[in-house]
Amino acid sequence: MNNMFQDNINQLSLLAAAIILALTVWVAGKYIKQMKTDRSTGELADENWDGIGEYKNELPAGWAYTFLGTMIWAIWYWTTGYPVNAYSQIGEYNEEVAAHTKQFESKWANADKETLQAMGEGVYLVQCAPCHGIAGDGMGGKAADLSVWGSKAGVLDTIKNGSKGLGFPMGDMPAGLLSGDAAEKVAEYVANGMKGDQPAEFATCAGCHGADGKGMNGMAPDISTYGTPEFVKMVLEHGKKGFIGTMVSFKGRLTPIQEKAVGTYILSLSHND
Amino acid sequence: MFHWLEQRPFLFSVGVFLVIAFAGLIEIVPDFAQASRPIAGKQPYTLLQLAGRHVYIKDSCNACHSQLIRPFKSETDRYGPYSVSGEYAYDRPFLWGSKRTGPDLHRVGEYRTTDWHENHMWEPTSVVPGSIMPSYKHMFTQNADLETAYAEALTVKKVFNVPYDKPGFTKLGSWEEAKKQALEDAKKIAAEMKNQDVKDAVARGEIPEIVALIAYMNSLH
Repeated sequence: MNNMFQDNINQLSLLAAAIILALTVWVAGKYIKQMKTDRSTGELADENWDGIGEYKNELPAGWAYTFLGTMIWAIWYWTTGYPVNAYSQIGEYNEEVAAHTKQFESKWANADKETLQAMGEGVYLVQCAPCHGIAGDGMGGKAADLSVWGSKAGVLDTIKNGSKGLGFPMGDMPAGLLSGDAAEKVAEYVANGMKGDQPAEFATCAGCHGADGKGMNGMAPDISTYGTPEFVKMVLEHGKKGFIGTMVSFKGRLTPIQEKAVGTYILSLSHND
Repeated sequence: MFHWLEQRPFLFSVGVFLVIAFAGLIEIVPDFAQASRPIAGKQPYTLLQLAGRHVYIKDSCNACHSQLIRPFKSETDRYGPYSVSGEYAYDRPFLWGSKRTGPDLHRVGEYRTTDWHENHMWEPTSVVPGSIMPSYKHMFTQNADLETAYAEALTVKKVFNVPYDKPGFTKLGSWEEAKKQALEDAKKIAAEMKNQDVKDAVARGEIPEIVALIAYMNSLH
């Protein structure tokens, strides 16, 4: 209710309604009084319509001035007054979106893990579930299985099958660069956030991802962030043209907070702690 | 003063109509003229996309799916940027639709992919549990009608000056050229599909409806 009176259009409408009501009462009263007391006088006009004549009356002064006023107002409104850029439907949409984005960002800037996870689940169900499935299992191979993503099994899967179509300058990662024990060791190391002693076999990965795994300044994906929302953000923004199918880029479609939330949610699928 | 006018009711009516119509005209015509221009970079449909559009119309997709995103945050969050009129400049007829039993499809090419459509058209509930959309398996066996699509493209090119074959715009060419191009486009889409019958058909030089429809879906953005 409070908001209704803050709107300037509503304020103007109410003001106009009050004025119209007052004028109506006044004019009606005036004419009712005239009908009771007035006698018709004056000079009749020449025309006569089936016996009904018309007095030659001057325009009532108030009427004439009002009419003149509306003409002057029309010229002003026509030339300068019309709010050409003051209002548009798209403008209102833009303002609404900007206000919402600002509020959204300040409200969730320091969201805790539970909140992010809940938000991520909401976004996931709308944007990701159509391909990756409601449970994140990739629906029997229709898309990447996110229930193992971010864990050692996920890294092993990538080493075994390679990775394709993230669009980095280094190009696609071939399948089976490592196998057996070596793959196990590297997967363990990467899935643990590259902490601890680096296995010698990581040299195979370092060729593209760099010795620190950070991807040599954007030449290849930064695998030191594997298993964190950061990595999910990267995939969301790049999109993927992989072995299973194509994943569109979500750049600009999700806000950074939403991307982080999706990442948090996806990680919760494989890390049930 | 206005006796000459008041005595002629027919003339007076015509005059009133003209005055009011004038106000309408100067408000509507300039807006229409500007808004009906194609937006920058808008391309007419390729032959394959147009054939897919005919499949879309034939199977009445527009009875359940709209192609018009309104400027409300709830819509742009879900479907992408709101639609503007210049985007429909080459749509004859436009497929705005008036009922959303299913979601809006105006920018479906931005967030769905060839393999997703393949799964979805074969059996919608396999990717969207709870979907009430019927499956369209016949699209995998029936062939698209390229002849009609070519006839339409050639007609709009000649009658409405749609910029086919102009520099920087979609190439149409002769029937043979257009057919060859459509088959090449179809091969690219079939390469991303998994259905072996469809792949075989395209390799034989046929174009199943599903391939044309996916080409059309992917062009919507």
